[in-house]
Amino acid sequence: MPKLNRFNIEIETGDTGTDLPVHFTINNHKLPLEDTQGGVQPGETFSGGFEIRSFAHSLTLVGPESGQWDIRKMKVDYDCEHTPTYSVVFGEVTLDETTEVNIWQDPPLPTWDV
Amino acid sequence: MSVLKKLSQMFSGTGRQESTTDKPVSETPNPPEPANSFTEAPPVQRRVIQAPVIVDQAAEVGSSDQILIKAEPSRDNEQCKFMVNRPLFEGHSWLFSNFEEAAGSPLAESVFSVDSVETLLVHDSTAVVTKTGAKGLSDWETLAKDVGSALRKTLQAETDLVSKDIIAKIPAEPVVREEIQKVIDTEVNPGVAGHGGRITLTAVTGNTVTIEMGGGCQGCSAADLTLKQGIHNAFRKAVPYVGAIYDETDHAAGSNPYYR
Repeated sequence: MPKLNRFNIEIETGDTGTDLPVHFTINNHKLPLEDTQGGVQPGETFSGGFEIRSFAHSLTLVGPESGQWDIRKMKVDYDCEHTPTYSVVFGEVTLDETTEVNIWQDPPLPTWDV
Repeated sequence: MSVLKKLSQMFSGTGRQESTTDKPVSETPNPPEPANSFTEAPPVQRRVIQAPVIVDQAAEVGSSDQILIKAEPSRDNEQCKFMVNRPLFEGHSWLFSNFEEAAGSPLAESVFSVDSVETLLVHDSTAVVTKTGAKGLSDWETLAKDVGSALRKTLQAETDLVSKDIIAKIPAEPVVREEIQKVIDTEVNPGVAGHGGRITLTAVTGNTVTIEMGGGCQGCSAADLTLKQGIHNAFRKAVPYVGAIYDETDHAAGSNPYYR
């Protein structure tokens, strides 16, 4: 597991939106996203990030305190130490007050043509 | 009042009562207790769910007239997966544990002709190779090229890739399911139960088996060892025609791993 310097997330909201701020957890510590732009109402796109500078044993996006939040798509950019920057796109998911969604993915494995 | 009398009153308590209040101490109303975090309801623990990862199809090995092979060593460099844009053993899988087992299967014979190849697992359009000796990424870079050439050469020959004897050995899916479930119920689960674990058979496709590790096995640091040393061996010993064995457990979501 590499050291995560920073991550940025872009979230497309589906049919059901929620209210700001958007929180995430890093190793079970709940924090609001920083450098935010956009919104989380239906059809809106929101972006934010956080300078972690630590090892991500878990990284999740926290669901709303009440109601549901339909997420159509999430793109997460990871800036890890000694690893080229990489991105992962997650598909549809619905969050509520009982759930949080994993947004951590290990760096891709090296692959080459033989 | 003498000093002795004062001391006597202090130790008997009478002096303190006289100097404070007429009411007995026990009748003094208790002040309201401060908010205590131990008496508050614990925070609700949220359930971690997984969203599907959308893979860029253009980056995958696609269909082409050319034989395309991609090599991908595992994170621990223990094995290397070769993804081919041709079927190698469609609908089934087979583990060739050594060179002798490769006899009669041109694909395996060709791969085992490469120095330091230890085992070969063929499943649909992938081949997974383990090697002897050093297992660094640079070691795989050299070997992967040779394995890729061996696979390509066999595919170009357009012969049967896997021995007909092996194909004949593989029974129908329900038989595989029944046999594997029997091993899980009689050997595997009684073994892992001591650690609070349990194994569930989640899918059987052809002779390919997928399991899920639950209870104390989920998230346990020894889960990989249990899978490879315990479960694989038990399955292969009792059901010799079983092919690939996959673990689809989300170990990151484990909340009760075995940690003693």
